[in-house]
Amino acid sequence: MESTSKQSMPSGALAMLVLRVLRAGPLHGYAIAQKIHVLSNEVLEVEEGSLYPALQKILLKGWVSAEWGISETNRKVRFYKLTTAGRKQLEAELRDYDRVTEAIKAILRTA
Amino acid sequence: MGELWRRLWYLLHRRRMQRELQDEMVFHREMLERSGTPRKHFGNETLLQERSHEMWGWTWIERLGQDLRYGMRTLMRSPSFSIAAVLVLAVGIGVNVAAFGLFNMFVLKPLPVRDPDTLVRLQRSAPGTFSSSVPYPSIAFYRDHAKTLHSVMASTDRDVILEQENIPARTRFVTSNLFHELGAETGLGRVFDPDLDDPKGAPPVVMLSHTFWEQHYDSNPAVVGRVVHLNHKPATVIGVAPRNFSGLGLPHEPAFWIPLTQEPYFVEGSTVLTDTSLDGMVDMWARLEKGVSPRAAEQELLALTDELRRQSPKSVWDKERLVSEPGGYLQAVRKDDVPMIMLVGTLVLLILTVACSNLGGLMLARGVTRSHEISIRFALGASRQRIVRQLLTESLLLAAMAATAGVGMGYLCLRVFLSQVNAPPWLNPAPDWRVVLFAGATGLIASVVFGLAPALQLTAKRRSGTRSRQVLITAQIAASCVLLIVAGLLVRALHFAVSGDAGYDHEHILVVDPDLAAHGYSATTARSYLDTAQARLRQLPGVTSVGLTSMAPLGHKNVTSLGGYPFGIFVSHVEPGFFNTMGIARLNGRDFQRGDTNEVVVSESLARRVWPGEAPLGKQFLLDPSNALSEKFTVVGVVANARMMSMHDPDATELYQISDDGSLPHMVLLVRTQGKPEDLATAVRTVTSSIDTGLFPTVHRLSESFQDEVGTVEKGAMIASLMGASAVLLAAVGLLGLVAYAVSQKTREIAIRLALGAKKTHVIKAMLRQFVVPVAIGLIGGAGLAAAASQLLRRILYGVSGLDPAAYLGAIGLLTVIISFAAWVPARKALGVDAMRVLRHE
Repeated sequence: MESTSKQSMPSGALAMLVLRVLRAGPLHGYAIAQKIHVLSNEVLEVEEGSLYPALQKILLKGWVSAEWGISETNRKVRFYKLTTAGRKQLEAELRDYDRVTEAIKAILRTA
Repeated sequence: MGELWRRLWYLLHRRRMQRELQDEMVFHREMLERSGTPRKHFGNETLLQERSHEMWGWTWIERLGQDLRYGMRTLMRSPSFSIAAVLVLAVGIGVNVAAFGLFNMFVLKPLPVRDPDTLVRLQRSAPGTFSSSVPYPSIAFYRDHAKTLHSVMASTDRDVILEQENIPARTRFVTSNLFHELGAETGLGRVFDPDLDDPKGAPPVVMLSHTFWEQHYDSNPAVVGRVVHLNHKPATVIGVAPRNFSGLGLPHEPAFWIPLTQEPYFVEGSTVLTDTSLDGMVDMWARLEKGVSPRAAEQELLALTDELRRQSPKSVWDKERLVSEPGGYLQAVRKDDVPMIMLVGTLVLLILTVACSNLGGLMLARGVTRSHEISIRFALGASRQRIVRQLLTESLLLAAMAATAGVGMGYLCLRVFLSQVNAPPWLNPAPDWRVVLFAGATGLIASVVFGLAPALQLTAKRRSGTRSRQVLITAQIAASCVLLIVAGLLVRALHFAVSGDAGYDHEHILVVDPDLAAHGYSATTARSYLDTAQARLRQLPGVTSVGLTSMAPLGHKNVTSLGGYPFGIFVSHVEPGFFNTMGIARLNGRDFQRGDTNEVVVSESLARRVWPGEAPLGKQFLLDPSNALSEKFTVVGVVANARMMSMHDPDATELYQISDDGSLPHMVLLVRTQGKPEDLATAVRTVTSSIDTGLFPTVHRLSESFQDEVGTVEKGAMIASLMGASAVLLAAVGLLGLVAYAVSQKTREIAIRLALGAKKTHVIKAMLRQFVVPVAIGLIGGAGLAAAASQLLRRILYGVSGLDPAAYLGAIGLLTVIISFAAWVPARKALGVDAMRVLRHE
């Protein structure tokens, strides 16, 4: 639990991660945070302070759509769902990310 | 695009969206608590929400809303200040809106006709010559051959007499396609139709203008179909023009509309349809073919003009071409109008400047009472930028209210103006989008001008305020100074125009215009008519003499001015005895005699300008000095200056020639009477119309023309004085406020000085010293600006130099008195303070 790696995640990266975890299906805000936390082997922790502004931004961009549903605890809650535009955006971002990490790795290897 | 929509949607539903966001966060928190994470983990929920909905991008609008609400509350808290501020600014904006409204109505707003943008007015132009109208046969030629013109319209004015009445009614003879082309078919009855009304032998028809129908026929629809007699000729009324029909924007709505092709029927002897000389000229308009530019049309017409010259060389000038100007508007701006427009624009802007600097002073003065509030807001952590924005929002609110009031004021001014000049009913002064936009922009600029400096001043760390106060004072004084000087110059010039002697006796003269040219009189027939008329008029008891001239004094008719000299020369053709009849004194030489041809009589000022310091008698005079072959005249007499053309003509550079063949049909008769001229008007009319029953001579008193001139001049002087007075009033109010502010800031200092035994006069001097320099700079700067503008003024003013000392000294003197008063009142009040109480209060 001692997630010392509470690195200030660049908001761009957070958006990409959100889109990525939504690829499997619609989730509500808490579940998004949880999933990122779990999938990162509990290294990354999403602050609510950045999650909700990020979600609002993604909504405005039209990458996700939101609809109200019933949570597992039987509460009304908003589920976020990837749109086609979001899927495209995610693919583009992943491509960019791969290219940059490859480049960084290449430097680290040779320099 | 989609994103913008979503943003807008968020703006419109932001309350619901906020609630939903909150619900979502509550759920999130609950889930966290359930998983055992401490509540604190979630952080500041409100801040979080703020940050989240900042993402929607509408925070600025919400802040603006807050600022506006806050500003509104602040203004409501001091209503007297707010009302004063709005009124001051409304005057400044209103004057501008009125001026712009006038410009808009005349130049920018299209006439209420169909498709005004394809309409052009066509006029003749050749090097050195210009004519606003074209001979009708040439118009017909252009109409038949031009491919760039979709249609051609023509119109000419001529008075006719209705039934047995003696009062002439204005009639506009127009081509039959006019109503159809302008899309005005909605009146009562039918409109002219080229197929029905143009063929030879078509039954004579007439349409009534809406106003004439209302006033003369009580809006009775049964008038359609009735037969009326115009110039004793029967004609059928076929319809009434729609109420807002503007014709082609010519001033003065006519009473009747008649097809141009039927003019010879109504005006006996008229040759307008066949005459290619100057007498047969009518105004010409055209509608361009779709997609054709006015320039392209001018090109085609130029070729047609050459063709026309081959067919009828007399009717075309050397190097003549037709020039176009927009026809769908009341007025096109000509080069000559630009100085006037610039002058009026500058004057109204100056009034706005005075209002703005005035208001700036008020804001600054009020800021003192608000300094407490402002320092609290600083203490609470508001940034300077935020407070300036808040203060500017208040200015903006004031400006918005003032602009609204200004639109209303401008509208009222225009209404009053239009009713004063008997404007036709289609001239609509209601503000349109251009006027509203103009008022809004003026208000916006004004709010920055008067709001920014005080806002920066009030929020500055070091708040002395002296500098901006001085700038405000200088600006106000300079602007009011210019306004006063210009107003003074205008009033002086106008006064000169009316007080100056016309140079002839206008009290005892009747002007009779038989309008012979329009009835196709030749030189010979005109001569015999005029001789008979003169002989019979002389026999009337009470008539002392009769004269003849081609240019009715102040009639603004047949004005011929000679070019080639650096000043205009106005030529009248007269008969022997003219000077006696008019009462123009002969200074030198002799009067005309029968048989004179190349002899001329000149006015004193013409003689002085052409031959300064020389004796003019016997001098040879070239009609066109640039052309050595032009006619040469010999001066045989010099007469006193007489302002024949207009009272505005200060130089009265008049040239009199004896009448020739060309001028005879244009002559008017001048009848000098012993008693009141109006007593003889009927007899004179009977005599002159009995010679030829086809003529309908008009008779009026020369003093009527004189009164008309004086009336216009007085209106102009009144407007100028009103503008000057409002500027001075604004400046006085503003100064009073500024000095009061300065005093209030120094109350403590004054109290201490007085307590220490300083003399009151010393204290006052020290107080007012800071105002001396800005006031002086303002006065000097204002006078300098006015002097710089005097070049511009010279083109508009008559008879007064742009550097008229009376106007300058008067303005500076008046301002100095007012400024001293405005400064003295609050200063005196300050001396009355109870020093001990002020100090104890501190």
